[in-house]
Amino acid sequence: MFLALVPAFQEQQRIGSVVRSLFDCVDGVVVIDDGSSDKTADTARLAGAVVLRHSINRGQGAALETGHVYARRVHADYVLHFDGDGQFDPNDIAPALRALKDSGADVLFGSRFLDRRSTIPWFKKKLVLPAARRINAFFTGLKLSDAHNGFRIFNQSALSKIRMTHDRMAHATEIPALVKKHHLSYIEFPVKVTYHEYGQGVRGGAQIIKDLLFARFIK
Amino acid sequence: MTINLFQILFACFFILAIAGVFRRYRAAELGKRGAWFWMLFWLVALVVVLWPNSTVLFAQKLGIGRGTDVVLYVSVALVFFLLFKLHIKIESIGRDVTRVVREHALQETLEKKK
Repeated sequence: MFLALVPAFQEQQRIGSVVRSLFDCVDGVVVIDDGSSDKTADTARLAGAVVLRHSINRGQGAALETGHVYARRVHADYVLHFDGDGQFDPNDIAPALRALKDSGADVLFGSRFLDRRSTIPWFKKKLVLPAARRINAFFTGLKLSDAHNGFRIFNQSALSKIRMTHDRMAHATEIPALVKKHHLSYIEFPVKVTYHEYGQGVRGGAQIIKDLLFARFIK
Repeated sequence: MTINLFQILFACFFILAIAGVFRRYRAAELGKRGAWFWMLFWLVALVVVLWPNSTVLFAQKLGIGRGTDVVLYVSVALVFFLLFKLHIKIESIGRDVTRVVREHALQETLEKKK
């Protein structure tokens, strides 16, 4: 079973079409509504998704791990991380899964930099993401071309070993670190990203570094 | 030895703080190590307020000019340490909250599926 995990917060406008677009590519769609006050959960349910609803907002990392726990309980073979704001292209999913299976790797990381289909804001492309790439490599020991891309596919082995503890955005650095820690193999795959919002900026990056540093002192 | 109003007020505050630590220890709200730390901390503060010149001796041993400077440096370091500890505690509680929220979300959905 191939499950798509879609964390969503206040996405009632886009979540319906995202869920519907995924059904051609996966066996099931799980939307983790991270405490939205709008109709994200109802819209996703109407579109046919299984909805896991956080009663309060806990962050994207927490939402994805909730999806992981669910996927482990229903014995999913593969899981896909897919953003709920419609920034990813569902047409990338089937070739990505095929590439992962053909390679025999455990994890697939999507990358905006392996082809030219994504239009990335200049400041982000030239300053934020290169800095993030270096920081990511420092904390994880893994050199990925796209440090914080939310498009990922895990096989069952990776799903059982990768258990995220970071609630907010630092999970994107924690995942490669866990891949290295558990000696999992990985590939990168080109995906298209269409920006509806700017996403994380310098402030978000600083928050991630702070989270990563403080996490070392939490038991 | 002449005692001014500032010393009397602060000494009273520190004695109340020591009593508070003792009370919290007896009520099992504070561990043995914590109780010793805070008891010692407030006792040192009491000594410093009643005998301000005692800090000069310590300052000279550390190579710092004035006793008040030692008190200031130690206080700032302590405040930073406590803020750090507090931040770690808040993060840790946040993770506990996430675990509860997650389990609730999973139970709600899995029960509906049955």
